[in-house]
Amino acid sequence: MAKREFTARERAILGMVQGNLPDTATPFADIAAACGATEDEVLSLLRELKASGAIRRFGATLRHQKAGYGHNAMVAWYVEEDRVDEVGELFAARPEISHCYVRSNCLDWPFNVYTMIHGQDPEACGRTVAELAALTGLDEYDILQSVKELKKTSMKYF
Amino acid sequence: MDARMDDLDKRLLDIIQSDFPLEARPYAVVGERLGISEDEALARVRALKQSGVIRRIGGNFQSRKLGFHSTLCAARVPEDKLDAFVAEVNRHPGVTHNYLRRHPYNVWFTFIGPSRQEVDDTLAAMRRATGIDILNLPASRMYKIKVDFKMANNASNEEED
Repeated sequence: MAKREFTARERAILGMVQGNLPDTATPFADIAAACGATEDEVLSLLRELKASGAIRRFGATLRHQKAGYGHNAMVAWYVEEDRVDEVGELFAARPEISHCYVRSNCLDWPFNVYTMIHGQDPEACGRTVAELAALTGLDEYDILQSVKELKKTSMKYF
Repeated sequence: MDARMDDLDKRLLDIIQSDFPLEARPYAVVGERLGISEDEALARVRALKQSGVIRRIGGNFQSRKLGFHSTLCAARVPEDKLDAFVAEVNRHPGVTHNYLRRHPYNVWFTFIGPSRQEVDDTLAAMRRATGIDILNLPASRMYKIKVDFKMANNASNEEED
């Protein structure tokens, strides 16, 4: 994938954007002023990166515990290679699932499809898993219920 | 759900989670869509930050498009080594999420670095420092990464990286 190179000024702008926007009515003008850029430069850079997908999402990130969905279970599934697309798309369409990845297996860990499932509590996540297993006919999987959040931050790229 | 949030707050969150206006006066645009003033839109956003519902407002980058490498890691850590292992892992800024899970593989963390080589080297250094083996499970395909969860009809919201 072609890597977009950034100027020092662009990096300064993105360094602010990877944190919290200034808490004002004109956040992009304020970023511009702090970085020695114009508001148009800031807005066009952000629009460009959003269009290219380098900014996957621009906006508010919530604390999901406060929004009422504090529990997650990661489920690792073993899926035959010729069924991975079918299963991946079925999982991706489920609102309880926020992430669905295929990963190479490793050492004594045989699973290859990973889903992050959200619910009010472990039981809600367990019900979703049982439903997905019945829907797909998959019977080799392992549920990893969250016990404690040990770290959660946003990556600092700039 | 936070009891202090009303329907307007939920609709506001739906807009600013996924479609925060990249415009000079973003809260004027949001306010217009909700039928409230710019001042009220901004005041509501400030109140939602104050109460802790909103963690941050900004850009969420796709690591691969910036040339970074990311992976999921897991380890079987004995109870008496847990604190030391977690301290060693968490001190790396590229470790963005780390969960204790109910499973023989009890520690699961995500790790992002500027290149695959640097990620592999850092994981090797963590293994040496802790004496604990670490599974390295980079993604080969992605079917979903957090689309926007609707607040207005009371579904969930998730943080992502």
